[in-house]
Amino acid sequence: MNRLQFIAMRLVKTVLVTIAVVLLSFFLIRLAPGDAATVMAGQSGYADEAFMKSLRAEYGLDQPLPVQLAKYLGAVAHGDLGTSYVRRQPVLDVILERLPNTLLLDAFALLVAITGGVWLGKIAARKPGSVGDATVTVLAMLFYAVPQFWLGMMAVLVFAVWLAWLPPFGIETMGADFTGMARLVDIAQHMILPGMTLALYFLASYARLTRTAMLEVADADFVKTARAKGISERQVARRHILRNALIPLVTFAGLQASILVGGSVLVENVFSWPGIGTLAYDAVTARDNPLLLGIFIVTAILVSLFNLVTDIAYSIADPRVELGQ
Amino acid sequence: MKLTARFAHRFFSRPTALVGFALFAVIALVALLAPVIFARGPFSIVGMPLLPPGAPGLLAGSDVLGRDMAVGLAYGARISLLVGIASTLFAVGIGVLLGAVAGYYGGLVDDLLMRITEFFQIIPSFVLLMVLVAFLQPSLGSTVIGIALVTWPQVARVVRGEFLSLRSREFVQAARTLGEGDIRIIFTQILPNALPPIVVVSSMMVGSAILTESALSFLGLGDPNLLSWGSMIGGARSAMWVAWWTSVLPGLSIMVTVLALNFIGDGLNDALRPRGPR
Amino acid sequence: MSLVSLRELTVALPSGADRALAVDSVNLEIGRNEIVCIVGESGSGKSLTAHAIMGLLPRGVHASGGEILFDGADLLKETPAAMRKRRGRDIAMIFQDPMAALNPVVAIGRQVTEQIRAHRPVSEHEALKQAAELLEQMGLEDVAGLLKAFPHQLSGGQRQRVMIAMALSLSPRLLIADEPTTALDVTTQAQILKLIKRIQAERGMSVLFITHDFGVVADIATRVAVMRHGRVVESGATAQMLRAPVHSYTRALIAAVPHGDNLLAPLPDAPPLMAVNRLTKRFARGGFFARNAVTAVDNVSLTLKRGETLGIVGESGSGKSTLARCMIRLLDPEEGEILFESADIAHLRARGLRPFRRRIQMVFQDPFSSLNPRHTVADIVTAGPRAHGENADEAHARAVEILRLVGLNPQTMDRLPHEFSGGQRQRIGLARALMLKPDVLIADEPVSALDVTVQAQVLKLLDDVRRQMNLAMLFITHDMRVAAQVCHRVMVMRHGKVVETGPTRDVFAAPSSDYTRALLAAIPGRGSL
Repeated sequence: MNRLQFIAMRLVKTVLVTIAVVLLSFFLIRLAPGDAATVMAGQSGYADEAFMKSLRAEYGLDQPLPVQLAKYLGAVAHGDLGTSYVRRQPVLDVILERLPNTLLLDAFALLVAITGGVWLGKIAARKPGSVGDATVTVLAMLFYAVPQFWLGMMAVLVFAVWLAWLPPFGIETMGADFTGMARLVDIAQHMILPGMTLALYFLASYARLTRTAMLEVADADFVKTARAKGISERQVARRHILRNALIPLVTFAGLQASILVGGSVLVENVFSWPGIGTLAYDAVTARDNPLLLGIFIVTAILVSLFNLVTDIAYSIADPRVELGQ
Repeated sequence: MKLTARFAHRFFSRPTALVGFALFAVIALVALLAPVIFARGPFSIVGMPLLPPGAPGLLAGSDVLGRDMAVGLAYGARISLLVGIASTLFAVGIGVLLGAVAGYYGGLVDDLLMRITEFFQIIPSFVLLMVLVAFLQPSLGSTVIGIALVTWPQVARVVRGEFLSLRSREFVQAARTLGEGDIRIIFTQILPNALPPIVVVSSMMVGSAILTESALSFLGLGDPNLLSWGSMIGGARSAMWVAWWTSVLPGLSIMVTVLALNFIGDGLNDALRPRGPR
Repeated sequence: MSLVSLRELTVALPSGADRALAVDSVNLEIGRNEIVCIVGESGSGKSLTAHAIMGLLPRGVHASGGEILFDGADLLKETPAAMRKRRGRDIAMIFQDPMAALNPVVAIGRQVTEQIRAHRPVSEHEALKQAAELLEQMGLEDVAGLLKAFPHQLSGGQRQRVMIAMALSLSPRLLIADEPTTALDVTTQAQILKLIKRIQAERGMSVLFITHDFGVVADIATRVAVMRHGRVVESGATAQMLRAPVHSYTRALIAAVPHGDNLLAPLPDAPPLMAVNRLTKRFARGGFFARNAVTAVDNVSLTLKRGETLGIVGESGSGKSTLARCMIRLLDPEEGEILFESADIAHLRARGLRPFRRRIQMVFQDPFSSLNPRHTVADIVTAGPRAHGENADEAHARAVEILRLVGLNPQTMDRLPHEFSGGQRQRIGLARALMLKPDVLIADEPVSALDVTVQAQVLKLLDDVRRQMNLAMLFITHDMRVAAQVCHRVMVMRHGKVVETGPTRDVFAAPSSDYTRALLAAIPGRGSL
């Protein structure tokens, strides 16, 4: 199997995951007691039989299941994820409006987590059992045990309320109407607290994984070969140890993405960051099922695309990909 | 019973494992005895809102509605442990069964299971969990079922990997040449060797299930009739600025509980790893 | 003056290890332009001695005393930076497993040039040219392609040649070779040994060669030192030591290397107990896109008489183990018959197989993974009778008897496998197989994971048991010398096919195929032992 076949296989997989996500969504809709009509009728305040019927007809709820499924698949394929009950707008539009904010926050968090985690892991692996190593291990244990949303609240308490260093809420200062550079700086300041809160957990896992991977590779025979060649320790560490230890980290980044989205929902809510996460919360409180489901579909597809990217990166990083698994 | 004694010795000789076990024992005790220790339930109002810890009769202060925080924390432990343990039991039950079958027999079952676990690895499981709980109506049951539903693939993956590697080991082949049947091989040859990773993963999963439950309740997706640590933090958001204890204490409770469980998991991992040559 | 002299070299192990010193006051001279062998079994300290010279002892292990004089300078007193400069330039090293010793994600060319450029100010382009020349000198073909390839795309022999090319790239004065042929097939081993001898002679350098095999010593060394438990028990010129070993341990080591003499005569004609007719086994390989089948066993036939040992000899990938696993029905063959007495068991299912299970038994290769680490010896040995519904007390009584037969103390029955040595574990595995009173015993490389002196004991035990119980034995091995010791007849396999079959004496004296001739010629130490 060569690299192209590998990538082709992963592409097929991505498409299959997407189809599975949409199918799952369709069956999730059936899970909810009552249907869309009951919810909307409840919201509009009156629920006589005729109104319910017209609502059901509007949303096609009176048709047999296979027909509904076919219609649903067709609609999703055309980017139609339904209409938000509350906002009375297409779900996809609502989501796409908020998506950039979430992507910004998640990308920042992922970047901080990977660079910081690899750096800390390298330090820890240099001397296993040392103070630096122990500190990294203890921090990792703590961050694994802390509820992320609570960590965010504590960060607000310390850095926004007591120390007043950073803004506590939102993505930019309301009413300030900054433009250009000033606006970017303003957004960056708002991003630090939620971004760091989100990043810390992943930073801890990256540090731990880097440490394990580097220690494992450090014992490999080819590292002994490298030393036997008489090259410098720096080159041994960089070209031989880190180069090999990074391969599992690439795959790991893909697996982390789905957890990152979950963390993002919580952290956005704590910091009132106007992204998908706060939108999901609004959807839950307003019982806006199409919106909630739309968020699930969109995030799932995005995560599986991200996994496709990391898989391709992996196939470039590791020539052994042609051996298959 | 020599084995058990050696295991216990190895487990408790790790200071973190000992601390984890002690903390967990205390938390479990408080959870069990909450109705005995406190005369009132967690929802009853005992005085002025937002009294600080140490106020007369209020060890941990009072919350936004004037409820005793100490009672809330004790009852919250019940929910956390109940959800953590129950959902893990479900997940481990399904995961071990499917993982064992897939790993031992391979073939189509295995292919199918691997696709399912990969699917669950890729999709954002917390968002799926929100959808599940919201659609099923938030309750203790839906929380437990939801968490079990999104976590069992992890267990299945571990068990399947263990079975797959143990199945090809020579002692299992030897058992087959001796004429032992599949059931006997699975239960007497493979399972005892696959148990340590299952136990370790389970103990870690209880911790992460507690975190997930708290996150759900924080978002208002917990059982509305029960007070949990997550919902206490959620309810304290408005008071955070003036009464730190309302959010700090339940958060610390979660952290300490999960930390204790992770310490136990690490200790088990160490104590169950076979020693001696290989 | 010697190039290298070890004076009272002592290497300490970290506290908590099974002994304090890995290497204990070792004295050794390596002259210019000669090959010196250190020979010893696992745990003898031979490998750590080599690593100490290289300045590459593992974490926690350190040279605690003595001197390592290299051209007069004590390497133990040199700074890490100075030692680093010597490595690769003055002293180079090659390792046991060339697959593990090459970085899997860096192209071969880069791995060779890296060493050249670490010591010489040359451009990558120039270094690549030198690398290409070196690879050609090592007898490699399509060098341009190799330089761009990754380690997994090469064969075992190619990889070790690349390792040697790399080691020689700066014309070191000492080459340390740590069991460089142990992970290779016999024919490849012979080629690599020849190569090392050739380049040593061409360049007039010194070689320190670590091995466990006196056959290899006989082939390659000018002088030899025998190590045991961290000490040198005997050293001297190779020819002298082979002719008249002084120390009893050296004598045992030399005696343990199977010799070509005393070959067993074939048994008189008798109807076969077991026969295989035109057996074929294929494995599906590849994934979703590229599914193809590999024929592991291709149209193989054989017969096996009561009281007879048939050796199946072949290199890795020859299909010998797959054949054995089909015969004991751990695998399902696609085509052909497996006749036991006159019943075809090739396609029987679980229930139909049960009566035959107890009559065909197996001893496995790996003394560690072949015993369930969580079962006691008693559990392991009585598992067979219990699976066949026998009375537990009777099974226990027989276990005592059988454990004595294989040379184990029955009082150790309630211990777990990890409390036993490799040789003892193979005895437990044999006892397990014998408990069912089988007619046929299949032994799959039963001694390849054992030290040579233990090998000899286990081989003798197998032969004794075969005689006493009048067993038919199928003996799978990659080692012609081992086959020669215990087999009445041998069958040589290659790429899933039978190359030749015949009485051991005839095959050794007059092989009928080129491949068998090559295998025999590749036996290390042939002629001198």
